[in-house]
Formats: sequence, structure tokens, C-alpha cells
Amino acid sequence: MLMSIRADHSTVQKTPDSVKGRAELALNNEFLRRAVKFTTERLKSGKLAAAEEHGNWEEWRERGRQIRLHTIAHLDYYLEQFVNNARAHGVHVHFASDAKEAVQLTMRIAKEKQAKSAVKSKSMVSEELHINHALEEEGIEAIETDLGEYIIQLAHETPSHIIIPAIHKNRHQIAELLSKEAGEDLPPDTAVLAGFVRKKLREKFLEADIGMTGCNFAIAETGSMVLFENEGNGRMVSTVPKTQITFMGMERIIPTLDDLEVMATLLPRSATGQRLTVYMSVLSGPRRAADADGPEEMHIIILDNGRSLQLGDTHFQELLNCIRCGACLNACPVYRHIGGHAYGGVYSGPIGAVLTPALNKNMAEWDDIASASSLCGACYEACPVKIPLHDMLVYLRHRKVEAGRGEQAEKMGMQGFRFIMSDAKRLKMIAKLGRWVQKPFVRDGKITTQIGPLKGWNAYRHLPSLPSETFREQWKQLEQELHASGRPTVHEEIRARMEKLVAARNQSDHMHAGDMARSSDLQAASRLKAAEGERRDER
Amino acid sequence: MKVSLFITCISDVVYPRVAAAIVKLLNRYGIEVDVPDIQTCCGQPAFNSGYWDEARASASTILDAFEASDFVVAPSGSCTGMIHHYYEELFKDDRVRLAQAIRLKEKTYEFTQFLVQVLGIKDVGAEFPHKVTYHPSCHGTRLLGIKEEPRELLSHVRGLELIALPHQEDCCGFGGTFAVKMSAISGAMVEEKADHVLVTEAEVLVGLDMGCLMNIGGHLEYRGEPVRIMHVAELLEEGVRRAHEH
Amino acid sequence: MNDKTFLAELDAQSRVKQEEFFDHIASRLQRPRQKTAPIRTLKGAPEDWDRYELSLEARITQFVKHWELAGGHAHRLAAMKDAVLLIQDMVRHTGAKHLIMQDQPELEPIQTALLRTKEELQREEQQDINLTIWNAHGLDDAAKGWLVAAAAQADIGITAAHAAVSYTGSVVLPSSEISGRTVSLLPTMLIVIIPVLRLKTRLGEVLRPMDEWPLAERPAGIHFVSGPSRSADIENDLTIGVHGPGIVHALLIEEA
Repeated sequence: MLMSIRADHSTVQKTPDSVKGRAELALNNEFLRRAVKFTTERLKSGKLAAAEEHGNWEEWRERGRQIRLHTIAHLDYYLEQFVNNARAHGVHVHFASDAKEAVQLTMRIAKEKQAKSAVKSKSMVSEELHINHALEEEGIEAIETDLGEYIIQLAHETPSHIIIPAIHKNRHQIAELLSKEAGEDLPPDTAVLAGFVRKKLREKFLEADIGMTGCNFAIAETGSMVLFENEGNGRMVSTVPKTQITFMGMERIIPTLDDLEVMATLLPRSATGQRLTVYMSVLSGPRRAADADGPEEMHIIILDNGRSLQLGDTHFQELLNCIRCGACLNACPVYRHIGGHAYGGVYSGPIGAVLTPALNKNMAEWDDIASASSLCGACYEACPVKIPLHDMLVYLRHRKVEAGRGEQAEKMGMQGFRFIMSDAKRLKMIAKLGRWVQKPFVRDGKITTQIGPLKGWNAYRHLPSLPSETFREQWKQLEQELHASGRPTVHEEIRARMEKLVAARNQSDHMHAGDMARSSDLQAASRLKAAEGERRDER
Repeated sequence: MKVSLFITCISDVVYPRVAAAIVKLLNRYGIEVDVPDIQTCCGQPAFNSGYWDEARASASTILDAFEASDFVVAPSGSCTGMIHHYYEELFKDDRVRLAQAIRLKEKTYEFTQFLVQVLGIKDVGAEFPHKVTYHPSCHGTRLLGIKEEPRELLSHVRGLELIALPHQEDCCGFGGTFAVKMSAISGAMVEEKADHVLVTEAEVLVGLDMGCLMNIGGHLEYRGEPVRIMHVAELLEEGVRRAHEH
Repeated sequence: MNDKTFLAELDAQSRVKQEEFFDHIASRLQRPRQKTAPIRTLKGAPEDWDRYELSLEARITQFVKHWELAGGHAHRLAAMKDAVLLIQDMVRHTGAKHLIMQDQPELEPIQTALLRTKEELQREEQQDINLTIWNAHGLDDAAKGWLVAAAAQADIGITAAHAAVSYTGSVVLPSSEISGRTVSLLPTMLIVIIPVLRLKTRLGEVLRPMDEWPLAERPAGIHFVSGPSRSADIENDLTIGVHGPGIVHALLIEEA
């Protein structure tokens, strides 16, 4: 690093309530920046290598997208099929419209079981529910068993990355947390720390009354739920305790185990660059009568919590295709600099920037989360199911403006933009005016002052001054010069190429179909456009 | 064949030398460039900020300006990407404008795409004996799929030493209004990008988008680093002149 | 309220709620409820991928490579008797005291041999081996609990794979009364026996037929295991054996 980032301290408060404020705090945390950068870069290059090794990655991405699009377009059918098959295996399936209902259901089951403790494997849905809090209020110990989740639970924090929850903690901080738990000093050595957690949690697994899991995929055809993990804690919580409760986002469905091959190819490779996670468990109901292990009772709570709001919304329905791999976080240059907590929601990074406001039914109110993106499209490029997150960020900003929640200064700026850019004559005038206004500030062809609108820009850069003439102003003269210098005739080959292109274009004109007509499922979605205005009002 | 220049607002007002370079280069191949005077801006600053009415007002000048053109060339992957990727969405409720937008999309090319894909030119006969590094801007790469064209063109420039930019695919942090609204994040991103540029020890940083180059160049200048920024068109045009001087 | 009535009440409530839930989805999608199977034009992996099929030798090589890259140990063995010798050797060398193995018929030679080893070691007064065979047939709940407890304290767990996949380097372990899930999970070391004819190239070759398994025959748990338990949650530093077995041996048996 040649220089450090200078945050604007006048706007930084103790607990900033904006992404901007939290980002500035994060930017001042040198360790955080480096740790996040190191980890995401490793994951990102691992993913690229894994995609390359597999080959035909684009074809697989497209296949993954098609499977997700198809399932979501027929979600009621596949969900019902799943529920019927899961029940046939003896699963108790429940439905929750929101987090509150899911918590109520969980607590009813936990109380009935007179549970004293619950062990949990990693589940982003359970983060939406804040279930640990609810359990603890009833005196039920809730233990996170994923190594990273366990660490942040001890630190009373929330995950800052979908795949690596404790990405923001270093081994010394971790050793300190675990030492407190162990009642003795543990050295900051990964093997020792992990060994302590293995031993400690082993006892917890064996004595817990309830195991709680998330659900990576649910298979409609077989009524199975599928868990991907590396540590084995997901298997522990779904094998050892008598009662299993699984939280499942209602969009987690795929039609068949055949389709699982596609997801099992895309998810691990995108998340960590692995061929497959160490464990992929296909769980179909509680233990059979003859079995000696596995849960005696299995509950699956299917959660909506804002997901259904995306259905039928042409701009956001594809959000439900997400398979929670975290590749967009690792690819995102903004995430890499500010880390997950700056986003202020359960989900961080590009997916969080869109999903958080979308699930919270108040897209327009989420002030600046959608602004925290340069719209570079790296998230879309990384996404294994091709969710156009960069486009969605623009749509979010648009809805905010449509709802009349644009910032005053920006609004005025945009009115100015409109005034100038709707007529070339005004643009010319403004250029002239600009040259006049800039005069007192120009030094050596650049502007370095940090006043007014230039503050943000010039805090990190110099601004070039406007040249004495716009291109338009020189054009007449340049045109004459070129004309006078004698233009050669166009080469025959070049002319032929151009003519061929124009001819081909004219031919295909009548068979033109828009970009949205790429698949039949999306076509179905676009037929819904008419009803969209009405729904937008609900948000 | 009517070939028109979409100047782009930043090239018109801040970097007229880039637009001039394109016109001069094409002139060498006998291509007369038309510059419709009613064009302003593609509308992206307003569109990306969510102000679509404002964006439409600006974008409409572009639709009208190039109605009669057979080809439209622009010195920007981002502005071309706006036309290709978002105009249909922007004008979806206006049948006439939508038809115009689709026609415009079909004939609009970013400069290096136009040179390589349309004209079939890979070697402009330039000479440029300098160490150069190339930053592939996000929108050109990701919205338009421009990957090989600029490399192809640069690889044929005599004397030019092209040094790979580490982490080239990372965004420079420009993002239009993002650089002002989220200035600290944008600042951190451009600082990292500039670090990577300096590692190459290149004398010149080239690209296809003056917005990004203004950002990286402005930051390098702020740090007192004498790296020259150039649009690929500028480099080629200067290189051709140089070759002819010999 | 007893457990049964409690669950019956929950299920009744769930069935009422589900209609509202599905109707809501259909209404958001602006169409009536979809009651018949939708037409699918695409299913599973891209068509080209289905043609990717390696020869037996190539499958073995690929499996070994991928299994080892994930941190596992692989052994190519000509016959089951070699597996027996290797396992006996492992037991002696590691000083393992508690062993647990599935009661799968293909493991019978190992079972017999280990019982012999147990006697030998006892006679030599070197090691006191405790060997548990996982067979839940006719066991009551308490006895079943003892099986899990035995797995929890086992140094070594031994299981045969239903199938294996060379491309992902995975073994496939379905549960049954003679095949406990905890046997491949709780011990410190896991040994998996793979008759090579069960080794497939692609994951799809194993998954696709499973769609057709009759409901009554579907195991409660099918575990795909691809190496030792691992985590990179502390500073991205890879640690092995976080919760599951940290040492995994795949024994590929090449006799027909």
C-alpha cells in the first residue's frame, strides 16, 4: 500500500446507520480489509480454476439457470410434490409466511420436546429468523456447530460471508475467544483451536435434544432434502439428536435427483473451488423403523418471508434462482474492500444488496445499499445461475426514485442533467460555461480543489480541466482538413464486409425478438408485466 | 454507407482528442465519418441512478441522431453497452422508440469492435515504442464481450511492449456517480487499481473508456505518478502518424 | 398432550396452511394452481456430459487422484484378502482399540479376520480390541443407542460403498439396518471398501437411478463422502478432521 485511505471523519459516527458510514469504518480497519481481500481472492481464483477444469462452464451455467427458472416458474407444483413425498417418508412439514411464524413453530416443537439444547449447522435462513435468540429466551441453549459460526457466536456477532462466516477474525482473536470457553490459554494455532472445538462440540452433539439444519436443495421427485458441507457438523446435527428441524427457504426446490448433478457441480465449484464438498447428504425422512441411527422425528419448516414477493416480478423473480454459493461476494470489488458487516443485513455482498431490500418488502426504503456498487457486473459474471445482479441494482435504484425517495440534491442534479442533455445546444452552452467557471481553479491543466460537488472525487484524484474546445467545436475545421487532404477510396474488401453486414441486418429485422424471449419460462414471466405496476404499489 | 460517430459526452467535452483520433484513423481507410449535431449523452448517469425519465430525455437525442446511419461508432464500451443492454428496457413502453432502440443496437459498435469485427482491420500500421498496459473496462468486457479486439490491435503495433495488468478484470471504482456518492469505497478501489498499474512499470495506460481512464489517471496524478493515459484509438492514431513520419 | 396428538395437531394445521401457501404462490405467478406435471424440455446435466464415460482403468486412476487431492488415502488392491491384510496391519500399527463396522455381506471376510486378530492380540497381550458390528435387526431403542455410543468412541469405522464416483472422488453410503450413518461419521478414521465394479464416472450415473427408487426402499440417509472432514474457517488455513473423520482410506478391490 502506498498510501492509506483517508475517510471523511466528520461523517463517521459510532454506529453508522448507512452503508456509506459503515463502509468508511470498515475501510479504516486495515486487518479487515486485508483478511477479506486475501480470502475472497483465494476463493475467487479457486472458483475460476474449478470452472476451467470442469470445462464448458457457460453451458453448465445456462443449464443451472434453466433448471432454476423452470422450477421457480412452477414453484407451487414442485413444492406440493416435494411436500407430499416428504410426508410419505414421515416428515412433518410446516409452512411459515414470515420469520415470526417460523419461530413460533420451532418454539412449539422445542417446548413439546422439553428440549434443553439445540445444535445447529450453518443455515442462512435461520439467520433470517434470529432463532438462537428465541431459543435462549426460553432457556434452551442454541449452539452453532460450524467452526466459523461457532466462533462468531462466541463473539456475539453475525456472519460476514455466506461461506466463510468468520472471515473478519484473525487467529489471535479466535484463540482469545476459544480460550475463554476452554478456561485455559489456547495458542493461536489452527490445529489446536480446531481440535478444541471438535472435542467441545462432540459432547454437545451427543447430548443435544434437537438438531437444526438449513437446506441447500429439496428434491420434489423424492421428497429429500440435500445438505452440502465440509466439516461433518451438518451430518452430526441431522443424525445424532432425536429431533431434527430443518429450515428451508421455499425456493430451495429442484425437480429431481438428476438435476442435483448440475447443482452439485455448480455450487461447490463456485463456492470454494471444490469438485464436491466433503459431504453431500441426501436425507429422506426420519430413521426407518429398522435403523439404529438418524433422527426419530424430522420437521421441515418451509419459509416464505418475502420470497413470494419476487414471484411474478419480471425484474426480481430471478433472485429466487440463487443457490447461496457466495461467488458474487468473492468477485465483488466493493465487498472485498468493505466486508460483509457494512451491508447491514443477513445477506451481504451483491446478492445481499439486492436480496435484503427485496425480502424486506421495502425496496424503496433501503437507502443507500443499492448505491454501494460501481455496477461493474463481476457478480453476474461469477454467478453460477446467471442472476443479473448488476441490472437488479439499477432496478432497485429506479424503484427508489419512482417511489419519490430520491435524495433531494441528486434529484436536482438529475433535473439539470435532463435540461442539458435533452438538447445538444444546451450541452454546448454548458461546456462553454464550464470553461469559464473552472478558470480560477485550473492549475497545470487540472483541478484539485475539494469544494462542493468535487469533494468526493478530488479527495482521491485530480480532475482534468476542460480543454479550450469541445470536439463539436473543432469538428467543422477538422472535417475540412480531412476533406482537403484527399480521402482514399474505401478498400473493396472493407466495403464488401460492411455491405454484407447491413444486408444481413435487414434480413433478420422482421424476425426480431427481444432479449427477454430467451426461454419459455422467462417468456411466461414477461407476460406478467402488465400486472406489475399494481404490485409495485404494495412494496 | 453512412458511418456516424457517437462522440459520447465525456469525449466531446473533456477528451475531444479521442473522438478526433477515431475520425482521423477511419479517414485513412477512406471512411467518411458523419457527426450528427443533435446527439448528447447515452443517458447512463441518470439511468444508473434510477432516474429513467431523465435518461430517456437524453437517450432520445441518440435515437434520433442516428436514425439514418448504417453504422454507429463510439469511443466507449460503457456507452455502447448502455445502448446494447439497457435501451430496450428503458423504452419498453414506447413502441416507436423501442423499434428505434432495437435498430440502433444492431448497428452500434464500440470502436475496436468496429475496426476488427466490421472492417476486418487488425494492423493499422502503427509504431509506438513504449511500455503499455491495458485496462479492460467492465462494461466493454462484460456487457459487450470485448476481449480480443483491443489486444489484437495492440499486438500489431510495432515497438509496443504490452505488459499484462495484474487483476485486470477488477473494476477501477469509477461507476459514474458511484465515485462521488460512495467516494471512500471508490477511492479504495482506484487506489488498488493504480497500485496494479504501477507494478507493470508501464509508461502508458490504455483503455476503451475515458471515464475509467479519467478515474485511474486522476488518481495516479494525485499521487504524482507520471503514467500517461490514452484511449486505444489515440494510441493507434499517434502510432500511425509516427510510422509515417519515418 | 402426548407426542402423537401434538404432532397430529401440527400436521392438521400444516395442511390447512399449505393451501393458502400454494394459492398465494400461484396468484403471485398470475395463474391458477399448477396441478399437473409441467413439461420439461431440459433435465439434468447437459446432454454432452452423459457421453463422458471413462474405462475402468481410467475411472480407478481418476478416483485415486481426486480422492488423494482432497486429502484421502487410496489403495488399489487385487483382492479382498489384501484388504483384510491391510486392515489388520492398520489395526496393529495404529493401536486402535475400538472398531466399528457395518454388517454388510461384502465385509464378511474382514469381520472374520478382525475377530481373529482380536484373539491373537489378546493372546499376545498387546492390544485389547473392542469390535462392534452394526446390525440393528431386532434391537430395542436402548440397544440401538449403544451402537451409536460405540461409533462415537470408535477409533476406526469400516464400511462398504454402495457406489463411488471417479469424477468427484466420492463414495456413496446409504443407510440401512446393517449400515449405520454414524459409522462413517463419528470414528477418527474411516475405511471404505469399494469393489471397483461399483465405480462410476459421473455423479449423474449414481443420482439418476435413485429418482426411480421405490419410496419404501429409499434409505433415510444417503451420504456422498469425498475425503476427510475439513474446514478453512480460521484464517483460511485448512484443518482436517473438524467434526467428521480426519483420516479416510479408500480400498479399491479389483477382483470381480
